[in-house]
Amino acid sequence: MRSGPLAGLPFLAFIGLFLVYPTAVVVWRSATPDGALGTAALERAISTTYRSSFINSVQLSLASAVIGALVGLLLALAIYGLERPRWLRPALEAWSAVASQLGGVPLAFAFVAAIGTQGIATKLLTEIGFNPIDHGLGVSGFWGLVTVYLYFQIPLMFLVVMPAVAGLRQTWREASRILGAGPVRYWRSIGLPILLPSFIGGVLLLFVNAFSAYATAYVLSPSTQIVPLQIRFLLQGNVITGEEDLAYALVTWTIVLLLATVVIMSLFNRRAALWSRG
Amino acid sequence: MKRGDVLRWVLIVTVTLYFAVPMLAMARFAFQVVPVALLTPDRIFEGWSVSGLVDALGEPAFHEAAKTSLLLAVFAGILNLSLLLPLAIAIELRAQHLKGLLTTITLLPWVIPPIALVVGVAATFRSIAPWFLASPYSLVPFYALWAMPFTYRALDAGLRSINAKTLYEAGRSLGASSRTILWRVLMPNLGASLIAASVLTGALVLGEYAFASLLLKNTLPTYLEVYQGGEPRAGMALALAVMLLTALMLWIVVRIMRRRGLDVSAAAGAV
Amino acid sequence: MASVTMTGVRKTFGSTVALERLDLEIESGELVCLLGPSGCGKTTALRVLAGFERPDAGQVHVGGSDITLVPTERRGFGMVFQEYSLFPNMTARANIEFGLKVQKVAPAERRSTLERLLTVTALTEHADKFPHQLSGGQKQRVALARALATQPRLLLLDEPLSALDAKVRESLRDEIRRVQREFGVTTVFVTHDQHEALAVADRVGVMSNGLLEQLDPPRILYTAPRTPFVTGFVGSVNRVGATAAGDGRYTVLGRTLPGIVAASSTGGGKAAVRPEQIALDRDPAGQARVLDASFLGPITRVRLRDEREGDVIADLMSADAADLVVDAVVRLRLRDDVESVVIL
Repeated sequence: MRSGPLAGLPFLAFIGLFLVYPTAVVVWRSATPDGALGTAALERAISTTYRSSFINSVQLSLASAVIGALVGLLLALAIYGLERPRWLRPALEAWSAVASQLGGVPLAFAFVAAIGTQGIATKLLTEIGFNPIDHGLGVSGFWGLVTVYLYFQIPLMFLVVMPAVAGLRQTWREASRILGAGPVRYWRSIGLPILLPSFIGGVLLLFVNAFSAYATAYVLSPSTQIVPLQIRFLLQGNVITGEEDLAYALVTWTIVLLLATVVIMSLFNRRAALWSRG
Repeated sequence: MKRGDVLRWVLIVTVTLYFAVPMLAMARFAFQVVPVALLTPDRIFEGWSVSGLVDALGEPAFHEAAKTSLLLAVFAGILNLSLLLPLAIAIELRAQHLKGLLTTITLLPWVIPPIALVVGVAATFRSIAPWFLASPYSLVPFYALWAMPFTYRALDAGLRSINAKTLYEAGRSLGASSRTILWRVLMPNLGASLIAASVLTGALVLGEYAFASLLLKNTLPTYLEVYQGGEPRAGMALALAVMLLTALMLWIVVRIMRRRGLDVSAAAGAV
Repeated sequence: MASVTMTGVRKTFGSTVALERLDLEIESGELVCLLGPSGCGKTTALRVLAGFERPDAGQVHVGGSDITLVPTERRGFGMVFQEYSLFPNMTARANIEFGLKVQKVAPAERRSTLERLLTVTALTEHADKFPHQLSGGQKQRVALARALATQPRLLLLDEPLSALDAKVRESLRDEIRRVQREFGVTTVFVTHDQHEALAVADRVGVMSNGLLEQLDPPRILYTAPRTPFVTGFVGSVNRVGATAAGDGRYTVLGRTLPGIVAASSTGGGKAAVRPEQIALDRDPAGQARVLDASFLGPITRVRLRDEREGDVIADLMSADAADLVVDAVVRLRLRDDVESVVIL
């Protein structure tokens, strides 16, 4: 088409105006607190209370990413070996596509109804002698949040890793058997190493997904010390002069962290794509 | 059954239970007028009623918020497609080497989460264009942005599956103009992908909370959060309804993609 | 190295019979091709040998011992698959070494085996590449080296060339033959390509519908096919009229010569004549008319319509066919060097 090169202009202008420009301004301001180049704000954003919210965020994201990735992978492996019922895999894929997007307010409510203080699962468990809230498993605690996050993390992992698991070729298994390797040796030397790049790529994607999640944590416990909620707190309290710089610095660190994660993720994904062609 | 099969089914059943329990708990909370503390096995069939949902749907404020969300979804969908579609087609036909770059750009919303972008928006548009942030429709560009990784995957998969480049070259060799090919050949074949991308955008907008809440806009999710604080049971019923609607929309996307033989995981937007 | 015997092997999948009743004897060091159309059972036969499928009935013996129930991993065979069978997470070197590591071969011995295989397959400079960095032909050479590394008693090749370009296919085919001779390993090679089978095998077994139709050296298979299926499947044939002239002699296309009666002959008075066995005489009184002629380099393939024999194909040396034009009238005759014909 003659208009070929021009087709990109509105898109780039749009990305520039609504994504790059605001982000660049934030990053610039975080590096120039009080109008002059300096690292004061960036340093403050990773010290004391703010450092612990970064630690909390990373822990929460990492826990939900690793557990979600493991369960998602195991689920994919369980489905992979099953020939019957035939409808199971398409059904699970459809459900995962749906559930991986079901974050936010309604999901938080659902878990309040299930494992909140007035939740029905809480009541059932209490009646059989195990009060989850006494054991630190309340819906607003760390493991409570992990439990809720897993609701969209497991399906996301399943969607990402199922193609890799389904791509394990029959001939690899047969070739290893005829060379004398049993099932354990096959999984240790071939099956799992082949899945490893996809698995790590999946963990990193889930990490980014959890780190950015905002609505679920906010609705369940607005006072949780995690980075997105800290940023919100500073944004609301921006009547105090000077605190904007801190919010900008928190955003800058968040972007740096997520950018690094996404870059590493694409390296692993590239490796996985190359292997799937081998 | 072999031991491996037992383990498989234990895992599948456990995961299914994990997914089902919160939904069932939500439904019970919404439709059974019996507090959890007073619920005993013999009262399981007592007090079921849809009055909560009826109340919630009757609220004028709900209509207001629902209308805003609906219009946001439509506008964001239109904006998203009008930016991405020409570009995706141009790149597929003319500049396949730029594909990697475009994929990278559409990854950016993963790197810059809503909360970060909102801070940027507050830092820039609030001072230079305060009129812009006053309207709830100022959310449209950000929602269009946020949906891009997902919609680009659906469009790209669609373009590849119809072999757009071959179709275009075949059309040109038969003497058709670019415009004719675009409207008579490519667009009709891309219909399914376009619908999938639009519905996906709609589902995302319907659930988006961070932008709306931080920019103080009254959309369905922000309304839901406030409303449930005052009317727990009716709010729960409404949340369930919204969730089912979102699920239905996403399920439609899956059906459309599948009928076209496209990868369902495109809905996850991961590269 | 070992001889291989399959006796009365039967294998069904549901209601589909893949192997009806297979009896096959392969001598030590021999290369046998199993040839047939898809679905003839050749791949099933190979998978039974490998131990991937357990036969419903019958036995498999290798080197005198019954291995019918021995699991694949303890058979000590080597196998090359159609494509994509290299482990993508390992370099060529690690792929070749894999079987040796599984068998816990000492590092020094492993290294010398590896060096020898890399040299034999001309892969030394590619040893540290991953499969996605290798071409199709290189990948199959790595697969061959990997299969030979453990000094297998039996080498199984499952259409190893079918995913390759024509040119690479031919050179790798010759290479497989060379390496197989060098190692002296008993080999079963499954293919659907008759040229490949005829070029590479000591003996070719033609299969159809789960049965072995004929197992013979390529030359005999070609000149003396024993069943109508083999006659039609290996090479092209013309079916022309044959009249018995007593003493086991038959008159075919005007010449009387000895006939070899196919095992399953129906006595239908037809002979199988190869296109290259036919000569054309320029005779205005002839009964055949040229339909078209395709120039194929050294030979020219001529399609004719004969009033008595119907449509016939003749392959002539191109020099002899230069003057043949469409609608030219000729007479069919058997070449003088044909000593016998196959009676169907």
